[in-house]
Amino acid sequence: MRESAAGCGAGGSSIRVEGLRFSYPGSSTEALRGVDLEFRQGAFHALVGRNGSGKSTLARCMNALLPPSAGRVLSCGIDSASAPDRREIHKRVAMVFQDPDTQMVGSTVEEEVAFGPENLGLEPAEIRRRVDGALDRVGIVHLAGRQPARLSQGQKQLVAIAGALAMEPSFLISDESTSMLDYTSRRKVVELFMELTSAGIGIVHVTHFLEEAALADSVVILDGGAVAGRGAPAEVLSDPVRLRELGLDPLAVTLVAYELRRAGHQVPGDVLDVKELVSWLYA
Amino acid sequence: MALRLSLENVHYSYPLPGREDAPALTGADLAVEPGEVLCVAGSNGSGKSTLAQVCAGLLLPDSGEVLYGDAPVEGRAGLREFRSKVSLLFQSSEDQLFADTVAKDIAFGPKNHGLRGGELEEAVRRACALVGLSLEELGSRSPFSLSGGEKRRAALAGVLAMDPEVLVLDEPFIGLDHTGRELLKSTLERYREERGASVVIVTHELSDAWGLAERFALLSGGRLLKVEDKSDLLSGEVELSSLGMKLPQWGELVRELLGSGIAVTDPSDPRMIAGAMASFREARGE
Repeated sequence: MRESAAGCGAGGSSIRVEGLRFSYPGSSTEALRGVDLEFRQGAFHALVGRNGSGKSTLARCMNALLPPSAGRVLSCGIDSASAPDRREIHKRVAMVFQDPDTQMVGSTVEEEVAFGPENLGLEPAEIRRRVDGALDRVGIVHLAGRQPARLSQGQKQLVAIAGALAMEPSFLISDESTSMLDYTSRRKVVELFMELTSAGIGIVHVTHFLEEAALADSVVILDGGAVAGRGAPAEVLSDPVRLRELGLDPLAVTLVAYELRRAGHQVPGDVLDVKELVSWLYA
Repeated sequence: MALRLSLENVHYSYPLPGREDAPALTGADLAVEPGEVLCVAGSNGSGKSTLAQVCAGLLLPDSGEVLYGDAPVEGRAGLREFRSKVSLLFQSSEDQLFADTVAKDIAFGPKNHGLRGGELEEAVRRACALVGLSLEELGSRSPFSLSGGEKRRAALAGVLAMDPEVLVLDEPFIGLDHTGRELLKSTLERYREERGASVVIVTHELSDAWGLAERFALLSGGRLLKVEDKSDLLSGEVELSSLGMKLPQWGELVRELLGSGIAVTDPSDPRMIAGAMASFREARGE
């Protein structure tokens, strides 16, 4: 019996992180120090924070690559602490990483994308269906026969995403998958993430670019292994002073709006984009 | 003090066994003026890393010329001399540390350049101070035990220890957070001032070099399309999106303001921009 592509199944349609603590073996400091969060399916979540804040560790805990030291992670209702269930989590929560070169194993794009479904032991016809579906969704059908090694960085990252989607996951976790890409490719990937959410997939996107985070439905800020902020982009990203304290680079627009407010002008508190700020000139 | 480094009509192709060569640079012209910070920007696959390696004398052009101070870089001796003046920080430099200890790793370059004893120690010490790495604390540790940010700084120290007149950095900002980026910027700024060095930042992300570079060389399909200063980029003459790039949000804001007739001299100073916007509104209200 096959799970529906967009449904988590009976266990609930979210990733729930409860009191999660994690320490790397041999390290005296905790990478995660009691994190409570919920990531919904069908929404685009951005995860930001300075280097060492615990973003990647949290991402890896959510797809059961790392087991919690304490607390628990329920991915689609499945507890990642239980070893036999981890495989089930890998099926439902797919992951893409920063450097596509380290993720390629196939000699053609098609083989590359088929790698995951093949590992699930699916029938050839089902593998075919999934590969075709994933290539189509990502918009790279024309690359099917090409060698991954000879593609551009941006194309390679799209292949990695197609490979993840061929698992028909409920969640896609992107660990800085856009940081090596140029603007055109990055925009393509972020637009794809937004489309995928309307198809019911939950996206958790770890990024250094606050301009990307501003496009998400919700933003989580981590600092020192704990949640330092969460909410809609307009709530979380509009206070440049707080963001600086958290080691983040505030959006230009929020810095200018902050200076205007300090000088006694009434600028709305949630301005994030250029057009909104410029419209204040004529308001 | 650095001399002018220039590339004239440089072609470079990567040989592919059994296939046609893959051209990476197809007639690149570039001049790095003494003591400037130049940003070379281009999309993935535009030839950036190849250009960086040609600038540092690590790849030799198939045709065309590299000149340093108006003299072509030629012959073994000429190349050796050139390489002692220009250094490259490779992309993903954190993965390229290899010695037993951080101190030995940083000493590798200057030792190859012939420094020994007290001179070598001094070069390592000075480089560590520049990047803000404590030699006392970290010098005897394995580079593999460092954090990602520390590894990056150790790699940069290894390059600065060679005391280059021209410093070329290939995608030095990828994966660094705000603090790391600011630290790198101030290190480069300080090195340039103290040494009179030229700095070439190769990147796919204009925002990385926005507050640092005076000029921007735009690379596409293995050729340099244009060298612009910030105000030219803002005037919108170059279609950045067709080159796979975009202005940082600072630039987008200043461009929009220009559209309303508001001119801002420093396109990354929030107080100045806020001031200009406020006066515009007041003038309208009157």
